[in-house]
Amino acid sequence: MSPQNGASNPNVIGESPIFTPRVINDIHAKAELGRYRMRGFSMFKPIPHWDQLMFMPGTLTRFVIEGYREKCETKTVLGARFAKRPLELDIPIYVTGMSFGALSLEAKMALAKGASMAGTATCSGEGGMIPPERDLSTKWYYQVIQSRYGFNPHHLMLADAVEFFIGQGCKVGLGGHLMGQKVTEQVAEMRSLPAGIDQRSPARHPDWLGPDDLSLKIQEIREATDYQVPIQLKLGAARVYDDVRMAAKCGPDIIYLDGAEGSTGAGPHIATEETGIPLMAAIPEARRALEDVGLADEIDLVVAGGIRNGGDVAKCLALGAKAVAMGHSMLMALNCNKEIPGVTDYEGTIGVKAGSCYHCHTGRCPVGVATQDPELRKRLVVDEAAERVYNFLHTLTLEVQMLARACGKTNIHSLEPEDLCALTTEAAAMAKVPLAGTTYVPGVTEERALSEIKSLLAKHVANEGGRDV
Amino acid sequence: MVAVTAGERGVRYDIRGLAEPDAVAPKIAKIDGDTAGFDAADLSPRQINLELRRLVYGEGIREVTIDNPGAKHSIAVGILTCCRIRINGSLGYFGCGLVDGPEIHITGRVGWSVAENMMSGVVVIDKNAGSLTGAAIRGGDLVIRGHVGARTGIDQKGGTIIVGGNAGATTGFMMQRGRQIICGDAGGGLGDSMYDGSIYVAGKVASLGVDCVEAEMTPADDELIDRKFRIYGMDRPDTFRKFTCGRKLWNYDNLEPSERKLVL
Repeated sequence: MSPQNGASNPNVIGESPIFTPRVINDIHAKAELGRYRMRGFSMFKPIPHWDQLMFMPGTLTRFVIEGYREKCETKTVLGARFAKRPLELDIPIYVTGMSFGALSLEAKMALAKGASMAGTATCSGEGGMIPPERDLSTKWYYQVIQSRYGFNPHHLMLADAVEFFIGQGCKVGLGGHLMGQKVTEQVAEMRSLPAGIDQRSPARHPDWLGPDDLSLKIQEIREATDYQVPIQLKLGAARVYDDVRMAAKCGPDIIYLDGAEGSTGAGPHIATEETGIPLMAAIPEARRALEDVGLADEIDLVVAGGIRNGGDVAKCLALGAKAVAMGHSMLMALNCNKEIPGVTDYEGTIGVKAGSCYHCHTGRCPVGVATQDPELRKRLVVDEAAERVYNFLHTLTLEVQMLARACGKTNIHSLEPEDLCALTTEAAAMAKVPLAGTTYVPGVTEERALSEIKSLLAKHVANEGGRDV
Repeated sequence: MVAVTAGERGVRYDIRGLAEPDAVAPKIAKIDGDTAGFDAADLSPRQINLELRRLVYGEGIREVTIDNPGAKHSIAVGILTCCRIRINGSLGYFGCGLVDGPEIHITGRVGWSVAENMMSGVVVIDKNAGSLTGAAIRGGDLVIRGHVGARTGIDQKGGTIIVGGNAGATTGFMMQRGRQIICGDAGGGLGDSMYDGSIYVAGKVASLGVDCVEAEMTPADDELIDRKFRIYGMDRPDTFRKFTCGRKLWNYDNLEPSERKLVL
């Protein structure tokens, strides 16, 4: 009689949950390569995520709003603090900065056109401005990034908002990466680099080091742009409370927080897995910081990182974000990870199935999104892709509205932490909302109980003192 | 927290008090033909810039003199037209940043990050400059007759930086293109991680940074240095050494085992 599986084979003791076949393979690969492994995409290991939060809509204790009939406002205004022209978006979602270089020209154009159709903004990303993207964007962020690749003050004057890139959630503390395959003559020229090099962008800005210098740098950009447009600081989520307090001190109009779930076009696998904190944990900390410095009503909070659907967007808004920026999901709307019969062959060309591709860094994107290869780029038809981007943005907004109306809100920005509960204690502790079916918020409940005990004790001591014992 | 009045939007607050959303040009300049001048002693950075822009863009003035700038920050930034600006005194941080075209002469000293991201034009500083001088400049000539601090020409993408005195540590850090001509000594880590470009040093070099190597001076190099010194009326040291990129870090996935320690 032969054993059917390992469990019934008396010679097999078991297998390690720590040194899994994947871990062992990783060690083998590094022993061959002699360097860290690069990849694109989001986080691969499981972390607490938006799936662990639920909405608690109106029933009898809350009055619900009629779907399809009663208005639920989605207009979103960012940066009205000091800017003469705040950024007015029709929806609470915009397309985050992704560089020309990481993305193809066609991808940048389709995102710009789709976002404009939806009444929202796009962002230049790292590699400088490409005129077709600016032409197709009705609202456009220009990024002041560490490398300043292609940074041009004339382009700065064309911006509707300026974003200081200080870090990204996926690889907090690191600069950008663009592997040599994607550093074509055109990309290299825009960035003033030799063609074909493995480009590692600086992690620090060239002209300021700490928050005090950053205050002055913001002043410089405001002077150069005549206070016309909002200034946004993009931070990778790490020590959020202290970072946001410092960021607020620097005087921006908007603070953008990027959670660890965010994606990259190319990054060291070790950094994408091991840096940052989940967005769910970051938003309440950011709100607390803004309230503690007295600027919660003045500085707007934009968040990003691993947002997939209208539910995720609505949860971000409920926790205190004013708007949500999306990157990788927008690329999926363009066709990322989609097998197109007769056109793509993911397994044959990349070595993995569509749906499991994380090979943006190789420049061999089968759908023409994350590539500079002229033949692959032809696979992305700008107008059709723009339509899909618009459809996706529109659907996300409908989903947010649906949840907001169910929670009794006539404005999506009225969503609040009160509307949420958590499915796990971890999520409850991070998002600071109660565990479903209870009033328990880990950390907060204990803190309250402790302060109650302290005040009772103080009263008791005072009373005992009065009796002169 | 400083209250910053913002007209119809009510009172707004800024922790550092740097924001000046409602300032207007003071209109105090004395205009004489296509030249003008004003005293900046009692003006805020925003008022100085608004007055300068009014003159250059609104009044078509080609030559502006600013007296008593008081080492204020972010002065004469974002000027994107050809004109002459003379600043009688010293500037703080980010002086003359983000400019394209002007010829600017500063008679005093400057703080950090002068002329950052300059596209074209000329900025001449008669005395010393702080750190991060000429950060990420893309073109034009930046001339400092005195000494400069650390990381001069960091991320430099073009143009020429000329230093009459000594340069601090990590000069030319991650430099991409362009030239630096340093008449005095250079601090440790010269040209660290530079991608391309040339750094000429007449004095001592404390140490070279990662992947920075010495190269042969050519007649073209000497001709360039001669020409630049003639333009700015500077004394040319007799000999320069030239430093460029060793190009070992251009592609880091095909480094030889012996080269890998370069990146540690």
